[in-house]
Formats: sequence, C-alpha cells, structure tokens
Amino acid sequence: MSETLSKLSTAIIEGNLEVMEGLTQQALEEGNEAQEVLNEGLMPGMDHVGVEFKAGNMFVPEVLRSARAMQASMTILRPILAESGVELAGKVLLGTVKGDLHDIGKNLVSMMCEGAGFEVKDLGKDVEPDTFVEEVKNFEPNVLGMSALLTTTMRAMEHTIKSLEEAGVRDQVKIIIGGAPVTQAFADQIGADGYASNAASAADLAKKLISG
Amino acid sequence: MRANYQVNSGVRFQMLSDDQLQEIFESVLHVLEYTGLEVHHEESVSILKEAGAWVDGKRVRLPSHMVRRALELAPRSFTVYARDGNPEHDIHIGPGRSHFGPGPTCPNFIDVESLERRPYVKSDVPLVAKVVDALPNIDFCESLGTVNDVHHDLGATYEFAGMFPNTSKPIVAWSYDKYDSEEIHKIAVAEAGGQEAFELRPNYIHYCEPLSPLVSTQDALDKLIFAANHRVPLIFTPCPIAGGTAPITAAGIIIQAAAESWMGLTIAQTLQPGLPFFMGGVLSVMDMSNMILAYGAPELSLFMAGITELAHYVGLPLWQTGGCTDSKALDEQAAIEGSLSVYFSALTGGDLCHDVGYTESAMTGSVFQLAMMDEAIGYSRRITRGIEVNEETLAVDVIHNVGPNGHYLREQHTRDHYRSEFFYPNLCDRRNYEEWEMMGKQTMSDRVVSRVQDILATHEPSPIKPETEKAIEDVLAAAENRVKE
Repeated sequence: MSETLSKLSTAIIEGNLEVMEGLTQQALEEGNEAQEVLNEGLMPGMDHVGVEFKAGNMFVPEVLRSARAMQASMTILRPILAESGVELAGKVLLGTVKGDLHDIGKNLVSMMCEGAGFEVKDLGKDVEPDTFVEEVKNFEPNVLGMSALLTTTMRAMEHTIKSLEEAGVRDQVKIIIGGAPVTQAFADQIGADGYASNAASAADLAKKLISG
Repeated sequence: MRANYQVNSGVRFQMLSDDQLQEIFESVLHVLEYTGLEVHHEESVSILKEAGAWVDGKRVRLPSHMVRRALELAPRSFTVYARDGNPEHDIHIGPGRSHFGPGPTCPNFIDVESLERRPYVKSDVPLVAKVVDALPNIDFCESLGTVNDVHHDLGATYEFAGMFPNTSKPIVAWSYDKYDSEEIHKIAVAEAGGQEAFELRPNYIHYCEPLSPLVSTQDALDKLIFAANHRVPLIFTPCPIAGGTAPITAAGIIIQAAAESWMGLTIAQTLQPGLPFFMGGVLSVMDMSNMILAYGAPELSLFMAGITELAHYVGLPLWQTGGCTDSKALDEQAAIEGSLSVYFSALTGGDLCHDVGYTESAMTGSVFQLAMMDEAIGYSRRITRGIEVNEETLAVDVIHNVGPNGHYLREQHTRDHYRSEFFYPNLCDRRNYEEWEMMGKQTMSDRVVSRVQDILATHEPSPIKPETEKAIEDVLAAAENRVKE
C-alpha cells in the first residue's frame, strides 16, 4: 500500500481534518484510483475507529471527528466515483418525525452513517410525511431512517410509511427506525425493515440492509 | 486577572465547627495530661520522662506543652515515593489530597479462582499487589491478609517480600515486632540504594497499632522506635470500639483515639523531630447484637470524618478507613457499605484511606471488593473534584454559537473537555438493554470477577532491581534461620 494511503488511514483515526484534502489530492495525483483511496485509505481507518469505539477505547467526540475527516475526503472522491460508475456505500435519508423536536439521537445516527461512508441527507426534525415522500423521490436514498423520542410521536412513523406506500415509493427504500420508546416489535408492527437500539448499530444495520 | 474572588476547588465538606474542634482538641490534651496512658516499654518511658513527662511506673502523663510541641514538629505535607521512580505512583500527602488502599491481616481470603473463602496463604500476596498496581484509583498497597502457611513469626516478612516486587505503589508495611520491621526495611533500602537515599525518597510507610483503651504496647513501641530511628514514615493507629474499648459517643471515641495516637506521636517526634506521622485509626461501633466490630457501620464513616477533621485541625495527616463491609459476599450490602464509606472518606480529604477490600468485618480480604471499590473511588473522586468555574468552563460563547436547536457533539469545546469533565466507568454498565442482553446479562459481580482475572492474566508490574531480588533472598534465608533457634 502506498505511503499516502496509509497516511490517510492514520489521519482518519486521528480525526485530523486539516490534512484530509491535501492527502486525498496527493493520493489521486500519485495515480491511485478513487476507489483505491476509499477502500485502502479511508475505510481501514474508519474500520479501526469502529473497533476501538466498540471496545470502549474511543469516545463519541473522537468518532465524530474521524467521520468528519472521512467526509472531507469523500467530498473530493464522490464525484469521481460517481463518474466512473462505482457503487458507493449508499445514500441515507434521515429525519425526526412529525410532532417531535428531539434530534440529538438522530444527529448521532447521521454522523455515524457519514463515518460508515454513506452519503447522508438529514431533513432535521418535525418532518411531515409528505416531505419524506418528496425526498425519497428526489434524493433516491437506499435507506430511510426515522427517529422519535415520544410515545405520542412514534405513531407518525407508521403514518409516514403509509404515505410512502400511497405514493408508490415504499419499495424503493429500506426503512429503519429508532428512538427511546421504539422497539423491534413496533418496527415489525408498522412494517419497517429494521430497528436499531443505538447510533452505531443504526449505521451497521443500514450497511447490512443495503448489502443484503 | 481577578481580585477579591474566592475559588472552591472541589466539594466543600465540614462537619465540626472550629469551636467544637477546639473543645475536642483541648479534651485530648486533658486526657493525656490528667489521665495519661500505660506505656509498656521501658525505653519509651525513659525517653518521655527525660522530655518532661510525668511518670508513675508504667503510667505516663504528658503535660500539654509536650504534645503541642510534638504536633508542631510533625509535617503536614510530604511525599512517599514509588520504588521505581514512576511519578504517577508517588503519594503526595497534604491538604485536600486523599488516597486509598487495602488493609492488612485478614485471616481469610476469597480465592481468585474458586471464589471460595479459605485461609490466606503466601501465594495470595503477589496477586493482591498486582491488582493494587493495576487499579487506577488504588494508591498504596497492603496485603489484605496474614500469611498462614509460613512460620508464625515470619508472616509479615514474607508479606512484604511478596508485595514489593509486584507493585511500585508505596506499601504500608505491617509487622509483628522490631525483628521483622528490620527485615522489611532491608528490602526497601536495597531498592532505594542505601539508608541515606531512602531517607531522601522513602518508598514505604511503617504501621503500628497501640491498644485501646489507653495502652502503648511493647511491640507497637519497638516498631515505632525502629521506624523513628530509620526515618520511615509512620502510622500509629489505634482501633477503639465504641461501647467496648472506647466511649460509646462519637466525640468520646475520637478523643480517646487521638490520645492513643499522640502518645506515639510524642515519642516519635522526641526521637526523630519532623518524622512524617499519621494519626489513626479504625473507629467504629461494637454491634450490640452480634458483638463484632462493625466495618460497614455508618458510625465508622462518621467517627472517621470527625477524627480527620481533628487531625487536620492540628496539622497531621490521617490514616482513614473505608471501602470495607460486614457482608460475606460480593453483594448489594458490600456495595452499599463500601461505596458510602469510600465516598464519605473522599469528602473528608482523609489522607490515606485503608481497609478497602475488607469483607466479613475484617475477617476476610477480597480483591473483588477492592476492585469494585476502585470504581466507587473513581466515582467519588469525580464528585469531590467539584465544578470548575472560569471563562472556558462557563462556555457562554459556545452556547451562543450553537444556539437554539443546535447540538454540541461536534464543538471543539466538547472535544477539548469530554475526557476531563466526565468519569468513565470501568465496571458500571451503561449499555442499552439489547447490548447488555447480548453480552450475557452480566451483573456487577460478574464484571468485577472478570476484571480481576483479566488484570491477573495480563498486568505486568515494573520489576525491582536485581540487587533487591538478592536482598529479598538473603533476608528470607536469614529470617528462616532466626526462627530456627
């Protein structure tokens, strides 16, 4: 592996945002394909971060910094990869459902997904079912993630799925849900494709659903 | 630049007022002057007599000016050094600094493999020292037991010889008499590089115990004199039992314990002015149904807080007590009693808190209790560290920048402080239910056991010098010869 790719891995692990753009450009100029930069530079770094995080040796702020470093590089790589027709990790659309203003958990999911290499679009909070439908049509995500903290607002997940069905786009996307009151049983009941109990497993679940 | 601005570093805790402390202090002086103690040690009696004590046979009464002078001579701040020069293992004694460690002399031990209670043996010593060395919130070492499987006079020598190579945290050395005190000292001095080097950087503390009520015993004073002559920092710690060997009231037991400690202090400071000296000890109640000295009693914490305040009032460091329990198992009682006493001890800033890891009212030592308390100490230390208030921590700019509806996860401010602001548990579980279930639904005691076994399998303490290894061999061989005769 080239020295520059190994430097990229280290920079990801250290969350060294400042050097990402330069190193990515350098790796490309040295003749590496964009996909090599992704698979042999960025991903080994993020994989290491994931392992260390699960082992309790790295903490959320460090993981987020690594994720951000990853995104800085992806901003350069993504158009090149798209042009050459390479399959990307995928696109994730996220939002806290209608009536709910709690979004710290959803923000964590967003950042964890970025770290996993996804292109993420975050619709924010109190998102209308129709807005989800529009964005599924326009952004064409592989995965739609919905979040709710309140037992009173988690019903809006069901309404959103209904709206997607009515618009005929339900089958274009895998739907995952999460939030403190949400359970696997509830996910099954409303016809979601998956449930994750925390932000890190949400990113893992998204990966699993896309590859499966 | 600030002016006329007061900062509280850590949580403020004070139980007794200055008036109350003064009254207790004067009462201790009164007991020493009017009641006096029995001193079962001829050399000490003559040392005291020459220094101005009133002697009537074994009964020694100290005029208060003698005690006041001894209090003045003893230092409030000093350092006990790690044998290997690791500054993180040094213990700095001084105001607002509390330290924790196990206790000595339990007859039984919880076997680290079978988890069963059995007599304490020689091979347990290195294990305890290793666990002490690895636990982040345990600062000094004692063995948690009396070695049962060697000649009955050599337990303490084997104990020190087993601890010393397996931790570089300072050891508090217990001994039977002046002979094993000398053997222990030889080992420590070999590592320090001679007596002079040891005096500059003492690497262990000597522990002696007078008898309650109001007796200074032959052995305790033999050991005290040995320590004083060799400038070994000294703990002189009585173990009075309220309602049995001491008054049943908190103020009464504190006064008696202080009088017992200060007789030792006066002898030590007369022999070796400026010798680092800790007053003690273990102050608790006699349980009036079970007739035991209760190690999990709330009164223990209360008495210990009172005597800590008295010690600090007179400018002495204190040998605190906590992290111990009357429970026979690693259970909820052990967690409640141990954690509350550890927390209370941390609040007082008592200088060396011992007996962490005692179970069954000091009858059984347990490295599992010790490891569980390591977590409670970390927790307590985070609370007692308190709230820092300055421009950086007020975070007004950060609040402004994030504003309504934002979040702080990506703020530099969060990254700068998340490690130092939060306590990260080693044992307490904060996983969500699904993950906890997936990890096998482990309870606290399951996690304690795996942590201890993990430490024993992986932790490597820093080695002692080759010449110290030789010194240990020689000391043990000579000790075996000593008891043959």
